[in-house]
Amino acid sequence: MPALPFPLPEIPATVPTEAYLILSGILFALGCTGVILRKSALTIFMSIELMLNAVNLSFVAFARQLGQFDGQIFVFFVMAVAAAEVAVGLAIIIDIFRSRCTADIDDVSWLKG
Amino acid sequence: MELLVFLGVAALSVASALMMIAQRNAMYSALFLVLNFFCLAVFYVLMGAYFLAVVQVAVYAGAIMVLMLFVIMLLNVAQPEPSDRRLGVFRPFGVIAAFILLAELVAVGARYGAPPEAQATGATTAAVTATPLARPTIPPAATPIADHVGAADVGHTQQLAAVLFSRYLFPFEVTSVLLLVAILGATILARKRPEYEDVAGVSVRIK
Repeated sequence: MPALPFPLPEIPATVPTEAYLILSGILFALGCTGVILRKSALTIFMSIELMLNAVNLSFVAFARQLGQFDGQIFVFFVMAVAAAEVAVGLAIIIDIFRSRCTADIDDVSWLKG
Repeated sequence: MELLVFLGVAALSVASALMMIAQRNAMYSALFLVLNFFCLAVFYVLMGAYFLAVVQVAVYAGAIMVLMLFVIMLLNVAQPEPSDRRLGVFRPFGVIAAFILLAELVAVGARYGAPPEAQATGATTAAVTATPLARPTIPPAATPIADHVGAADVGHTQQLAAVLFSRYLFPFEVTSVLLLVAILGATILARKRPEYEDVAGVSVRIK
């Protein structure tokens, strides 16, 4: 087998924390893009869920890095808050849909100054 | 091997997130988001957070997304929405802002292992190895647990519960109150509004 012109990068035994952080950043940015660009309230909600999950991923990555459980427990609380947020938010969307027959956030701009 | 799984699932998760924000049909977006949640559960398994992986599938992919799909079908917005006219001419600026955010987050994440931080993390790993392993008792604050990376952790969920129900007992109870309030709020918001009678007995429609 001929020698490679460059040394092969050393493959780490486990996935480094930076990889998880970068992936979390990518997912968070994608969720943020969804919130900015989409106009359906439901899709914006799903993008927010995506951002919450990206943050959860970095919480767990840091918990592994530091060898503590606190990060994982924070993920529990984030999940509970996300569940509450989804319940109330979907109820608000349903209520708006009943009164305005739309789930488009551009049509719900009563507060626009 | 672990790295291969990570790379494959990471690509899948980024692809599903992209598809989620690119889909016009809210139903397909929701299904791609479910795929993304499963990818995150795989990451939790890779990092040794087995219980969180189960909770991720059960709560997120199970409960929350079912609720969301139910609302999508209830609102009958599953048909493709017309072309996004939102933001209009400012639309590229939104993309640019998102890319700036992406660059910042990736830069911060990639710098995490850089030399200035390496000292701090090295000290932490030294502290991890210096402490005795796997105690079933409640670890006090800032005490590292056993090195669980890749190890078979039988007591992992047990240890998690020990921390959750001791040091984080009060936030746990507050969470229950939060969920109760959320249930009440969702019920009151989403129920059918009848004609309300005000104090004077005049029937008014509250919008």
